[in-house]
Amino acid sequence: MPDADQRPRLLVLALLLLLGAAFLLPFAWMVSTSLKPLNETMVLPPRWLPSEPQWQNYPEAMRAMGPFWLYARNSLLLAVLNVVGTVFSSALVAYGFSRIEWRGRDNLFLLLLATMMIPFPVVMVPVYTLFRDLGWIGSFKPLWVPAFLAGAFNVFLLRQFFLTIPRDLTEAARMDGCGEFRIFWQIILPLAKPALLTVALFQFMATWNDFLGPLIFLVRQDQFTLALGLQNFQSMQGGTAWHYLMAASTLVVLPVLVLFFLAQRTFIRGISTTGLK
Amino acid sequence: MERSSYSIRRLAGCAAALIMPTCLAMAGTAPPDTPTEQGRAVVEYWEKWTGAEADVMRSIVDDFNRSQDRIFVRMLTVSRIDQKMMMAVAGRVPPDLVGLWLTHLTSYVQNNALLPLDTLAREAGIRGEDYIPVYWEMCRREGFLWALPTTPTVTALHWNKKMFREAGLDPEQPPRTLEELEYFNDRLTKRRPDGLLEQVGHLPQEPGWWMRDFNHWFGGPVWDGDKRLLLDGQPARAFFQWAASYPRRFGGEGMNNLRAAFGNFASPQNPFFTGKVAMVVQGVWMDNFIRQYAPPDFEYGVAPFPALAVQQGPPVSIAECDLLVIPAGAKHPKEAMEFIVYTQTPAAMEKLCLGQKKFTPLREVSPEFLHAHPHPYLPTFIALAKSPNAQAILSLPTLAEYSNDLTTYISLVLLGRMDPDEAREALQARQQKALDKKTARWDRVREKRLAEWKTRL
Amino acid sequence: MTRGERKNLRTGLLFISPWILGFVAFTAYPLLASVWFSLCDYSVLSEPVFIGADNYRDLWQDEVFWLALRNTVVFAAVSIPLGTALAIGLAVLLNQPVRGKGVFRTIFFLPSLVPAISLAILWQWMLNGSMGLVNEVLRPPLDAINWIAGTALQPPDWLNDPSWALWGLVLTGLWGAGNAMVIYLAGLQEIPAELYEAAEMDGANALRRFRDVTLPLLTPVIFFNVIMGLIGSLQTFAVPYILTGGTDGPGRSLLFLATYIYQSAFDYWNMGYASALALVLFLLILVLTFVVVRFGEKRVHYAGR
Repeated sequence: MPDADQRPRLLVLALLLLLGAAFLLPFAWMVSTSLKPLNETMVLPPRWLPSEPQWQNYPEAMRAMGPFWLYARNSLLLAVLNVVGTVFSSALVAYGFSRIEWRGRDNLFLLLLATMMIPFPVVMVPVYTLFRDLGWIGSFKPLWVPAFLAGAFNVFLLRQFFLTIPRDLTEAARMDGCGEFRIFWQIILPLAKPALLTVALFQFMATWNDFLGPLIFLVRQDQFTLALGLQNFQSMQGGTAWHYLMAASTLVVLPVLVLFFLAQRTFIRGISTTGLK
Repeated sequence: MERSSYSIRRLAGCAAALIMPTCLAMAGTAPPDTPTEQGRAVVEYWEKWTGAEADVMRSIVDDFNRSQDRIFVRMLTVSRIDQKMMMAVAGRVPPDLVGLWLTHLTSYVQNNALLPLDTLAREAGIRGEDYIPVYWEMCRREGFLWALPTTPTVTALHWNKKMFREAGLDPEQPPRTLEELEYFNDRLTKRRPDGLLEQVGHLPQEPGWWMRDFNHWFGGPVWDGDKRLLLDGQPARAFFQWAASYPRRFGGEGMNNLRAAFGNFASPQNPFFTGKVAMVVQGVWMDNFIRQYAPPDFEYGVAPFPALAVQQGPPVSIAECDLLVIPAGAKHPKEAMEFIVYTQTPAAMEKLCLGQKKFTPLREVSPEFLHAHPHPYLPTFIALAKSPNAQAILSLPTLAEYSNDLTTYISLVLLGRMDPDEAREALQARQQKALDKKTARWDRVREKRLAEWKTRL
Repeated sequence: MTRGERKNLRTGLLFISPWILGFVAFTAYPLLASVWFSLCDYSVLSEPVFIGADNYRDLWQDEVFWLALRNTVVFAAVSIPLGTALAIGLAVLLNQPVRGKGVFRTIFFLPSLVPAISLAILWQWMLNGSMGLVNEVLRPPLDAINWIAGTALQPPDWLNDPSWALWGLVLTGLWGAGNAMVIYLAGLQEIPAELYEAAEMDGANALRRFRDVTLPLLTPVIFFNVIMGLIGSLQTFAVPYILTGGTDGPGRSLLFLATYIYQSAFDYWNMGYASALALVLFLLILVLTFVVVRFGEKRVHYAGR
């Protein structure tokens, strides 16, 4: 191979290694701190590796945090409900915006797009009072019922995808006298599996990572999600147990990492398609 | 092949059909309010304490639960309890009993978040004369009783005797005036060869928990108790000037450098224990932490924190108390009150306060309590609490905003980044406005509320 | 309308009915209610009381509001260009023929998936002035500079220093550049190889190829990302909130508009004021988005236009 080719390649590799290390370091630090005994976490100069990995930090952290598995169950419950609600309602709404021709459709869609610019803090207080008046504060409802009412972003994503499905398929079915819902359920949905999977994945992540929602709407400690439980743990009095805190944080990140490794391609593809269309 | 994939799909479908409704069912309802725990009324009790302090209260709760069979108190440790309680009340799902700090009591009262306890207390035979005055008064607002005290504290000067000795000061003679404290501060400060601070005599930021009330050691209040902030008065002026003297003397960066290496309060790296700071203002709990975390040969003394030389008279200290309150909308207020009354009995109160190594808010204590108490300086604290100059912490209705602002301005002054008078005037302007707003809000509903409270329970 | 059109209208509306319900309940009503609340003194625990434009007047004179506004805008103005540059840079690197691309892509992308709580806790530790990783990495080069130039530079105490806290937060945000990187990567892969070959034949070196081929063809993607980034970063709440433990950071340097809104609503129970602040935030987003769109329309190059 000619020399001129090798040098830039090596340069790129070197840069990638450097940046890769920089990006990986925080993770490594988090895991390394989580395995240290407390007296090694706060030393000057900071230690890179624990003298002896304290694997028991993990179960101890879970115990110190309180009802860890309860929080995990709550997070999972909400994530599942949100995924189910989002996928179905967004698909329905996206279908309505893309596969049927009706008056005012595109204007209404512009309105939908516009709502994406409304920041959450604007609706935060009235939505809070709405849920309060419905008596839903103190239950999980504020955190999953809205998912069944189709968020703008997912509708946007799915609509773009639905638009790529050839018209002839649905026209043929309509000629045969098929009802709209059947067309939706039996023709469009199966074809849209990759897009639906993407929406499901993103919604799972979003709900798992959600902090502000649980912060405002959850009051009872036994309903806390992992994110809230962890913050609870962080702000408890008596000094910060960094080793426990890191261990607990690692645990909260773990499902995200696992999910990513299982569904890498879908993740990446999903993100790239959102940006381009 | 097709058959197995078909049956898998069916299985998945069935699983989904079972899981979904279960999820919905679990998620749709709040945890059932079992009206009885083994046939008893359940009192939901949120407490801010963690660790050993919580354990002591838990044993009192257990005692109460065992002593009768109508009521079951369920205690839960909750962090950020001020905020959580307000959110629970605002969300209309409050607990029955909450263990709060004194700090935001006025705000709760004015927001109508609590139940007035007058009638219930009177029926239970609770009398003000049984309490050390400052602790009884701090539970009252607008002429009503809103809480009952549990574990009290006052603040006092704690000094490291060894560091005094090394600096050539008499370890048994604490500073008696603020000016003397500053003189000692200079004597106790040591620098490293490279000029960085090695140890200091006193730092306002260590621990910095009473900045809001420090003005009392400068001779007076910052609030007239009603509508006006007095930050343009002499005490506030003197306090801010005093704070500004620190960056001049130690350098803002210098202090930051020194403090960056300070450990947590509840750890052996507490700067008071490691000999980095010789004198601190602390509460009655400090002995507990010293026993737990300080080196075994640690010697310390306790005395009233000194005020300005011009202030004569009884020693000044800041008094606070942990409180028990019943939120508005509680489902079992009478039962909650029964538990509160139980905690106020001398036996339970002494057990609680002894367990947390504090003194009691009651005027009288049994000799056994004093005898069994491990705190070597307990009489000093009790004397400070009974002193006519024991000042309850600031009880502004805008305490949250005031606190936030004060912390910001004072830290800037302590860093040497803001002129003290500028900071003080800015604080006065901003917080007076905030106070005016809250006063206006309160004035609008005051009559209505007072009438409402008279008829409550 | 014909009968067919009417039927389609009915069906269409039926299909989108979940969104309509959601729109009414969670967008239209709250927006209107917000406007109403912003004209009231409201503490949730009692009824809202109309006070006219007082909240807006107070807001105008509130130096903390202006500070929060400044922090928010500065943060966005700094992190969006830096983040974009980093993301494009990473994407360009990953677009080269190198081994282990997949691994690197994963490494860069992963941090953007981390929940805010874990992120904040981790970086709270990383940014610790004396014992954190960031300063540990910064110290050797600074010591070298000190030794050479005789200066006395110290790495900052990020989370306690009002001048540096915001930059610490920017650093935290940069760690999540992987999200945008993936989009840019996809965009890069859409650029036809012939264009590069043609430029090479014209004698353009790598840098010029980047400037004349890559960048212009990436502009639609950049445009999209910048707008999304703008809307997102102007609403920053979770990470600074957790990082500072619910306070404002040193000298209020980490107070953002969203944090101030949350504080006013749920710490000070001034929900009327919070609503006024929120509407101002909305206005800010609209204005800035409009500016970016206007600016972008002339510069964005669409293939085939």
